[in-house]
Amino acid sequence: MNTFKLALRGLTRNRRRSLVTLLAIGFGFAAIALFAGYTHNVYSGLSRNSIYNALLGHLTINKTGMRKEGKLDPERYLLTAKEVDSITQLLKDEPQIELVTPRLAFSGLVSNGRASTIFIAEGMEPSAMDRMQEGVLSEREKRDGTYNDILKKLDPAHMEVVELSEGLVDMLHLAVGGQAAVLTSTLTGQANALDITVGHSFNTGNAGSNDKFAFVTLELARSLLDAEGRADRLTVLLKDDSQTPATRDRLLAKLKAAEFDVEIHTWQELSDFYNQVHGMFDMIFGFIFLIVLTVVLMSVANSMGMTVVERTREIGTLRAIGLKRRGVVRLFTTESMLLTLIGCGVGLLITVAVRWGINVAEVSYVPPNSVSPVLLLIDLDSGRIIFTFVLMALVGTIAAYLPARRAAKKPIIDALGHV
Amino acid sequence: MIDTLSPPPILKLRNVRRRFLLGETTIDALHSISLDIRAGEFLAVWGPSGSGKTTLMNIIGLIDAPTEGEVHFEEQDTGVLADNALTEFRAQKIGFVFQNFNLVPVLSALENVMLPLQIKGVSSEKARASAMAALIDVGLERFKNSLPDKLSGGQRQRVAIARALVVEPKLVIADEPTANLDSENSRMVVDLMREMNQVRQVTFVFTTHDPRLLDHVDRKILLRDGCIERDEVMA
Repeated sequence: MNTFKLALRGLTRNRRRSLVTLLAIGFGFAAIALFAGYTHNVYSGLSRNSIYNALLGHLTINKTGMRKEGKLDPERYLLTAKEVDSITQLLKDEPQIELVTPRLAFSGLVSNGRASTIFIAEGMEPSAMDRMQEGVLSEREKRDGTYNDILKKLDPAHMEVVELSEGLVDMLHLAVGGQAAVLTSTLTGQANALDITVGHSFNTGNAGSNDKFAFVTLELARSLLDAEGRADRLTVLLKDDSQTPATRDRLLAKLKAAEFDVEIHTWQELSDFYNQVHGMFDMIFGFIFLIVLTVVLMSVANSMGMTVVERTREIGTLRAIGLKRRGVVRLFTTESMLLTLIGCGVGLLITVAVRWGINVAEVSYVPPNSVSPVLLLIDLDSGRIIFTFVLMALVGTIAAYLPARRAAKKPIIDALGHV
Repeated sequence: MIDTLSPPPILKLRNVRRRFLLGETTIDALHSISLDIRAGEFLAVWGPSGSGKTTLMNIIGLIDAPTEGEVHFEEQDTGVLADNALTEFRAQKIGFVFQNFNLVPVLSALENVMLPLQIKGVSSEKARASAMAALIDVGLERFKNSLPDKLSGGQRQRVAIARALVVEPKLVIADEPTANLDSENSRMVVDLMREMNQVRQVTFVFTTHDPRLLDHVDRKILLRDGCIERDEVMA
């Protein structure tokens, strides 16, 4: 028997009921797909922000134990000038690598002459900073100019020109071009102070760090710490985000083979915020997914339960003329699967339409712990859309299985006598 | 004495008893029925309501099993067949015509007739050709694309007869095939069944309340209170 054709025709028997069930599936699917698209956009924005804006790069190479013990004993855990050069030379020809650049982090006090406050600073090469920030903004953001203030810039000709976060500039009543002094201690524990000029201010995008953070040239950082040629880590920028784990493994093996006592961390391991947001959204997604799946299951089970009862006599007839029990089960589960798949198709259309509307509307909101609004944008997360399609089809099929099996087991004479 | 001139029985019922449990009440619908049905017979089972006609038809059609006794179809003891084997056996050997036609409402007349063939796994092309031939036999080729609800009661029953005959069964079971038809359509349906019986040599067993239809049969069995009261072979 052409089960598919008979199942498809079966859906047209009670059109109103089929339509209601189909819409329940469609809206449920759209809810999942839209939320998945939203989280996909958030994840993508956060990863871009971590790698390019927070200047984490894709991989960070440092001496083994640096992250745990480095703050207490920086002298011991900093890479030497020779190590920095050797590792850079070793990695520069790797096909996946776009850039390898040394970094030096430090903290201290910054003063405007009347008041002082703590700061945390990153020293890096101005050219490396420019290159890493090329990937910060999406094409759309570059066009709109919405986030131009998050880009940072250091002056390679003037090592004393620094980038201060907006909160820090406000707190010390500084302005672009204004003078301040920084005080820190060298690797050997000596106090060291230098004058700086505020070259530009930037928004860290995070309320917790926007009044503390600074970027300085690597030259200035090395001078302040009295650490000529040294770095606490090397940041590696890759050409392709998806190659991060594989490249990490390959580079680690290569560096170990060259007898460097180093460890390599991916940006995901270093970005706590990304991991926390990812974990939270995954939890919410799972919760929504479960609710929608339950609604779909109940809708389909209810619809197919009624369908099977209404068609008991037909089942008896089909059984009498030679349809086996498994044929009855197959017929109704196919009908249910078709209903679910068509519902998912409708849901996909709803998703595309709503997504277009939201993206065009340019709705913005201020995320938690953020200082500036971001656009609410929805992506099409094809991976999770396919997963939802498959799972819903499976759930729809299972929902019809029990009533169909019950009907198939009914004695033929009882089914034929059903009113 | 053995009747060597008659064709051998295709169906043999031996001491068939059928008992139903309704709550705590036991109802004996059939009492120790023994019966032979021969190939090519045109046989009517008649009797008052509650006499056990439908129960007997269900057992003859192998869609119900006796509580006691044996049913042999072409020497095959059907009691030993598992559900799947019995279903295949029915699909090969038996056609059904129901009182309420029992056509699938979303399928056209042609598709309804194709259905038993497709269940058997016959290809769509072959099934379509055979179903079309069956519709021509019952005079409904013009209505091949009509859905059942666009056909009259008589036409629906003719589609049902075509559906029963399309698998070229040995036996057609028709339980009150004329109960929902007016007298003219009833006569037409019985005439059609009779014609198919004579042309194709298909055995027909049907039940009826209508004594006028009994004039057309080879043999009539009067059933009363679950027992065969009279078994008459017509001259």
